[in-house]
Amino acid sequence: MAKMFDKIFSRNKEVAVTKTRQKLMWYKGDLDRLDDEENTRKAGFVTRLQVRSNGKIKNAAFAACDKERYIDDVNTEKLKKFDIKLYMSYRAVNHATYKRLFALKAGKAKEKYNTEDSIWAAHFAALDEVKKKRADYIAKLDGVKKAFLDKYAATDKAAAESAYDAQKLALTAEHDAKIAEYDKKRAAWKEKRKKSLEEKIEKYTAKLDGLLQEVSADRATLPDDTVLSVSGLKMYFGGLKAVDDLTFDVKKGEIFGLIGPNGAGKTTVFNCITRFYNATGGDMLFCNKAGETVDLRRFKVHDVILQGISRTFQNVELVREISVIENLLVASTREIRSNLAVQALGLPVVKREEDILKARAMKILDFMGIATYANWLAMGLPYGILKKIEIARALMADATLIILDEPAAGLNDSETAELSLLIKRIRDEFGVTILLVEHDMKLVMSICDRICAISFGRMLGIGTPAEIQANKAVQEAYLGVDDASGAESEADEKTDGAEEEGEKK
Amino acid sequence: MNYFLLKQKGLFDTSQTPPRSQKVRRILTNPMFGFILFGVIMIVVGFLAKNKIVIPYSWGSALSLTLSYAIASVGFCLLMGYSGLASLGTGGFIGIGTYSAYYVMNAWGLPFILALALCVTVAIICGMIVGFISLRIEGIYLAILTLGLSEILRFVFQAVKDSISLSSFNLFGVIQISRTNAIYLVAVMFVIIMIITNNIINSPTGRAMLAMKNSTAAAQAMGISLMKYRLLAFVICTVYAALAGTLLMISVGYAKATDAMGFYAMITSLNILAAVVIGGAKSIWGTLVGTFIMYGLQRTLLNQVQFFIDNPVVITFISGILVVLVVMFYPGGLAQLAKELVGKIKKLISKIKAAKYGKDV
Repeated sequence: MAKMFDKIFSRNKEVAVTKTRQKLMWYKGDLDRLDDEENTRKAGFVTRLQVRSNGKIKNAAFAACDKERYIDDVNTEKLKKFDIKLYMSYRAVNHATYKRLFALKAGKAKEKYNTEDSIWAAHFAALDEVKKKRADYIAKLDGVKKAFLDKYAATDKAAAESAYDAQKLALTAEHDAKIAEYDKKRAAWKEKRKKSLEEKIEKYTAKLDGLLQEVSADRATLPDDTVLSVSGLKMYFGGLKAVDDLTFDVKKGEIFGLIGPNGAGKTTVFNCITRFYNATGGDMLFCNKAGETVDLRRFKVHDVILQGISRTFQNVELVREISVIENLLVASTREIRSNLAVQALGLPVVKREEDILKARAMKILDFMGIATYANWLAMGLPYGILKKIEIARALMADATLIILDEPAAGLNDSETAELSLLIKRIRDEFGVTILLVEHDMKLVMSICDRICAISFGRMLGIGTPAEIQANKAVQEAYLGVDDASGAESEADEKTDGAEEEGEKK
Repeated sequence: MNYFLLKQKGLFDTSQTPPRSQKVRRILTNPMFGFILFGVIMIVVGFLAKNKIVIPYSWGSALSLTLSYAIASVGFCLLMGYSGLASLGTGGFIGIGTYSAYYVMNAWGLPFILALALCVTVAIICGMIVGFISLRIEGIYLAILTLGLSEILRFVFQAVKDSISLSSFNLFGVIQISRTNAIYLVAVMFVIIMIITNNIINSPTGRAMLAMKNSTAAAQAMGISLMKYRLLAFVICTVYAALAGTLLMISVGYAKATDAMGFYAMITSLNILAAVVIGGAKSIWGTLVGTFIMYGLQRTLLNQVQFFIDNPVVITFISGILVVLVVMFYPGGLAQLAKELVGKIKKLISKIKAAKYGKDV
């Protein structure tokens, strides 16, 4: 069914390229893993064989074994289990004594236990009873042992041992024969599988080449160090120009900040890049996972993630009914290979695939320092952790560009400081580029390599934090135009200065 | 000499294989086990009812009716609880199943498996149509629209053939099945449906549906295509409803399109919605209990009491009050109630233990 859906709804060639590449990667991975999988399968087969043989040889092994040690061991096990039971009654005795002693202190003792001596007498009597129970059980076990030894006193030990050895030899030979047969069968299967995989790889390589040729004609190129290039972006809502002629480049491996007063159109820019809004005009070129330049305007919202762009949201948008780790797995929905029929039948393939993804998710959670919450429900976790989970989910998508929409909104100062370190660490360890919108100037100025300031959809300036701080247009947009004279404007300037100092810090 | 081998590891080294007790526990805790056990119990009950041992004869047909409706409910629970979409078209979709059962098995005399194939095919087409519509319309409007579609289907059925009936038919062309032994077939089908649904719920597809329900924007940003999963949800719901229709036709034997309380009437869609709300939209077992309250309770347990036989309307009041109570106090349905009860019982047990042996047991 899912395949049919894919066939109907993916006419887009760029998407087809990505999907073909994904399939090619899967088959290549299959080919690489073929040997390992065969080995584990064989190990499982041998184990199963041995377990089955254990039942067959059990009687012979029993006949040949040292009966006294055998029964001793069985009895020890039984006694251990009995002791565990006894321990509970021992605790019950102790607890009852404590209760009585407390009652005595409080003056609420029953008539039977109104002195300490009587309590302790009852305690020791109860303990004696417990000890007697154990002694009785040991005596019973001794009786069992005696009967057992009497029963097997007359058996010929040497004959039993030789019989056991002979049976073991025969079984081993049988195993060897079966394993040889298995090897033969599997070798043929493996050969066939290898061949089919190679054929598939060939087929998909050819398909990919064809598609690339078709696509390459209308592809632009970006400079090597640029990940995202937005040029002349326009987004009009009717008469309202939310974004008007915005141009900026994001370099590989940098943290790029987008700032502006409220309503400046920052989130609109993000929504245009991630295709939630269909931009009125302008170009958005992106260097995808495979290192090719693609035009983002050719993709639908849900295809953008396959190109290597993942994002977080201003308000936390997690699935609250499922656990944290499952929330992360949602981001890798497109990487799952098994189709709906396989999933509905619950074949082991699905679980195997999920285990791999879960291991990856665990690593990311560990990196974020929230691994302890992995199996908690997302519902009811503190806001700071939910924010972190969202960033972890964006990382899970294996993207090259991560878009953070106000990551520090709603966090306190210490959490914001932690977040700024975390963002830098993400950039360094995952090798991703980060594009962020933020109101917290301290955070933006401390972590961003370059900043683009916008106001009412127009770009005010672009550059390093220091350049932006010195930029007159930016200052005006944030702090108002300094055209009035007199006492009022002086007061304004004072507060302005204070705010700027805050920014510089 | 080989005593150690015998005791500890056996003949060969099998230290990797889990001990038997662990194996048994793994089987018992598997949800599959619960489903299959339920199916076996249903088959035993059906057998007893058919032979009138302990259980009254009427219970067989009542249970098969409930289980048939429960299939539609489970599909609806996948649609409402997991995908967050609303539909009031279940009645019409049930009609697809009944008519394909009638035409394939009665009019054309072909085996059951072909009726199944036909109803699934038609249901997939219908589900796709509704799914496409659901891309544009949401919430209450979608419910109204599906209600309209269901009514259209009902009028189409009425025009084609008003009343249809089915007495006996054969499975795969070999085994004869009639109304009396329909419960076996229904129970088997229901167990299969339960297992498949459980697998889907716990698979990446189920997660994607939940993500879509919670926030369409986040789901799309995570690569979940709304079109694909909404279509899928509606197709699954429709196919389940159509299967339920086929089984209803088998277990009841006749259907009438003009009947105001019949299978395709609006009341069916509403009853199934109520069943899912009462039972809990995210639990298969809860949905089953809800359906039992809506359809099975009067026909089995309450019919043993003279008062309820005289006043069959009481059950309607009970279910109405239940809906109100559940919506007010347990938004998760009876499933949530059961979960809370289990938690409370566990707490109580630990309290009793602490009173007897001291605190840290």
